[in-house]
Amino acid sequence: MIDLNDLSATVADAFATVFERARRSLVVVQNGRDGAGAGVVWRPGGIVVTNYHVVARGRARISLVDGREYPTREYPTRLIAQAPEIDLAILQAEAADPFDPDLLVAPIADSRALRVGQIALAIGHPWGQLAAVAAGIVSSLGSVPVHGRRGQVDIIRTDVGLAPGNSGGPLMNASGGVIGINTMIVGGDLGVAIPSHVVNAFVVETLGESALQDVRAYKV
Amino acid sequence: MSQSNGNNILTALSESMAAAVEKAGAATVLVSGRRRMPASGIAYAADLILTADHVLERDDDIPVGLPDGSQVSGKLAGRDPGSDLAVLRLAGPAAAVAEAAPQEARIGQLVLALGRPSQDGIQASLGVISAVGGPVRTGRGGLLERYLRTDAIPYPGFSGGPLVDTAGRVVGVNTSGLARGASLAIPAGLAWQVAANLAQYGSVKRGYLGVRSQPVAIQAAQQKALGREQAAGLLLVGVEDGSPAEAGGLLVGDIVVGLAGQAVGDPDELLARLTGSVVGQPAPVEILRGGQPRTLTVTIGERK
Repeated sequence: MIDLNDLSATVADAFATVFERARRSLVVVQNGRDGAGAGVVWRPGGIVVTNYHVVARGRARISLVDGREYPTREYPTRLIAQAPEIDLAILQAEAADPFDPDLLVAPIADSRALRVGQIALAIGHPWGQLAAVAAGIVSSLGSVPVHGRRGQVDIIRTDVGLAPGNSGGPLMNASGGVIGINTMIVGGDLGVAIPSHVVNAFVVETLGESALQDVRAYKV
Repeated sequence: MSQSNGNNILTALSESMAAAVEKAGAATVLVSGRRRMPASGIAYAADLILTADHVLERDDDIPVGLPDGSQVSGKLAGRDPGSDLAVLRLAGPAAAVAEAAPQEARIGQLVLALGRPSQDGIQASLGVISAVGGPVRTGRGGLLERYLRTDAIPYPGFSGGPLVDTAGRVVGVNTSGLARGASLAIPAGLAWQVAANLAQYGSVKRGYLGVRSQPVAIQAAQQKALGREQAAGLLLVGVEDGSPAEAGGLLVGDIVVGLAGQAVGDPDELLARLTGSVVGQPAPVEILRGGQPRTLTVTIGERK
């Protein structure tokens, strides 16, 4: 016999655990002009993925969210790649060494294995509220036409309530793996995310396969 | 609770919801019965599709898209604007048949709203049952005995699609056509009943007795006199002038215990019995009067 009270508490704890882990790979991205977006540490050495529209103007800097009300450590960044048609950009945090303990790489999940109905969590900074989480499910999986050589790009739609400030932040599965980057690429009433397999292809295209990709020892 | 157990339970919940979507999605079809937004439908029998009335602008040659991407033609079998439900008969069988939930939805229960408004695959949103209400007069001149309200997002084209539990069983039929665009669901039990009538008769006739009643307990001695175990009946507290009930001889103070050969213990059961074939026909009404069972014959009227 399952104790239902215990089950609810366990589910609640599990959400909190996923959130706590994910928050360590979440950054605030500011360009000094238009407010803040979010970003995800994608690779060791301070490689951060965010939305193109967050960094399109100004010179972006990133800061960490360590659980307090406001960001603490700040890093200037260099824009190393951009793909406006799918609203993605890659930033290099300057002065970040490959083993910087503050810039923990997010676990990346395989977004090609997603199914409609699976739990999805978005974290970001909606309306400037730092490291806020929202939960929902994968509502549909499809693709949209985009300009440029890609022609079509896969997207994830969710029923997670997103707001300005979620842009560039991670969409995660039930075990905390990043399944996509929340974006504003197309309108409508659903939250849209670029799946992690599309993001990863963009990162690999820019930086090549990473020798450090599988180094997990420093990630405790 | 350890971290890994917690994650397992969240992953298990996630997978079970995906499985529910897959199961119910296999019986959720695309119904292109109007010029603008296509809508959804539920295969509730092999060749019968339950959908919303307001999404059908014509009666014939309605393209129905099946989950495997193929398309069959549907023809209207019947519609009931009062409950915003309609049934289409397909030229060939649908892929899978939906399963109705065995129990009525409970407030707070997790539910998934499903729709197939395009051939791009199933769509879903998550929520809870926010309210169970009714009876309510609908904006379309009908009376809905019961309705469900949910906070799951009703995406465009979700009308006619199922609201399902986490096991993929249908608890309701989604529609935005009943309450000025607000999203409601018609409970599966009620919808299946309406569907059966629509498939058989092409319309839903609702019976009219002309009584007001309240449920009361039936004492053991009276159950014995009745010759069966029945814990409750309906005490008549009002009989309308000129009504079928009055014409049939029903009096205030009678306890109605059966209609047309079936036991009646609460107002919902009475409403449920007053549909379909009994309308316009003389029906035996079983009552307790002064503690003694009697059977009167009442010609059931039609509720306009």
